[in-house]
Amino acid sequence: MIIQLKKFGVTLTSRQLGKEALSAFTSSLPGIGEREIIEVDFDGVNTFSPSWGDEFLTPLVKKFGARFILKQSDNPSVVATLKLLEEVNGYRLNII
Amino acid sequence: MQNKELITINQTSQILGVSIDTLRRWDKSGKLPAIRLKISGHRYYDRNLLAELMPRLDIYKLVLKWASGKTAVEPLTDFYCPNSSIFQARLSRFETELIKSGVLQDKFSLLTSVTGEIGNNAYDHNLGNWPDIPGVFFIYNINNRQVAIADRGQGVLTTLKKVRPDLINDQDALKMAFTEIISGRAPESRGNGLKFVRRIVIDNKYDLLFKSGQAELRINKKSNGLSIVKAKIPINGCLALIKF
Repeated sequence: MIIQLKKFGVTLTSRQLGKEALSAFTSSLPGIGEREIIEVDFDGVNTFSPSWGDEFLTPLVKKFGARFILKQSDNPSVVATLKLLEEVNGYRLNII
Repeated sequence: MQNKELITINQTSQILGVSIDTLRRWDKSGKLPAIRLKISGHRYYDRNLLAELMPRLDIYKLVLKWASGKTAVEPLTDFYCPNSSIFQARLSRFETELIKSGVLQDKFSLLTSVTGEIGNNAYDHNLGNWPDIPGVFFIYNINNRQVAIADRGQGVLTTLKKVRPDLINDQDALKMAFTEIISGRAPESRGNGLKFVRRIVIDNKYDLLFKSGQAELRINKKSNGLSIVKAKIPINGCLALIKF
């Protein structure tokens, strides 16, 4: 499954909106297979921030572990946010 | 004239934080022309003209006067975000204008992200607890490469004390907010957004002035990293000025 983040907006910057996006996404979770890879695509996102990212990505990292993959992005706010999230949460993101 | 939204000279004085005498001088010089109604002869101001002028003034002074004033005055609608939805919409517009201007090229996203973190913090930490007026005063001038955000909330010390009760002053609170990773999440979802702000500001050589309570933090070429001093003008909430 590929999660295209641009479907949640192009300016992804608040905790509140991150929570809402997660809530909307989790409604599709029952359809995900046990071994299915979940891939996050940042393409089309203008701005990404730690608040939004923490609310949306962190619970999914914890839930899916190694099956949760992030597609590499050259957007500076995505790169900086992912680096900070790894540091503050003590996890390693699976970026390909 | 009927299509113009007129504001009295007293309201204009409060919104701009300048005296009525200054407004009279600005009227004479043409900096901010007043409109005189035929019946009363009193000076009024066109709201749209005010909205055009404000970003060209000293935006730091504007937000500081608003944030430090004893009485809460609602900022001009164009720059006032009473709730996070309005802030989000204005932030998107800021992002669009940054992209169009091309001043930061592909780094526009970093400034938008940092501005979003600072602005959203105000709502995350003050919801239901605003001491007087809710929301933030958000103003920028891309040509002058400045953005300012202020709120009249509880400030960093009060909100950080919920997760670090041992904190005793504003300077320590600012230092912690900008430098230490806060892992304790209860009783509120305390983010690490200001660490992100510090990193982006340093890496991209922006200037940051951040005030809260009696403390004032600066990150710029002269500060050699991060400098925190006692503020000459204290504010209850938070204020940030970024020069990019």
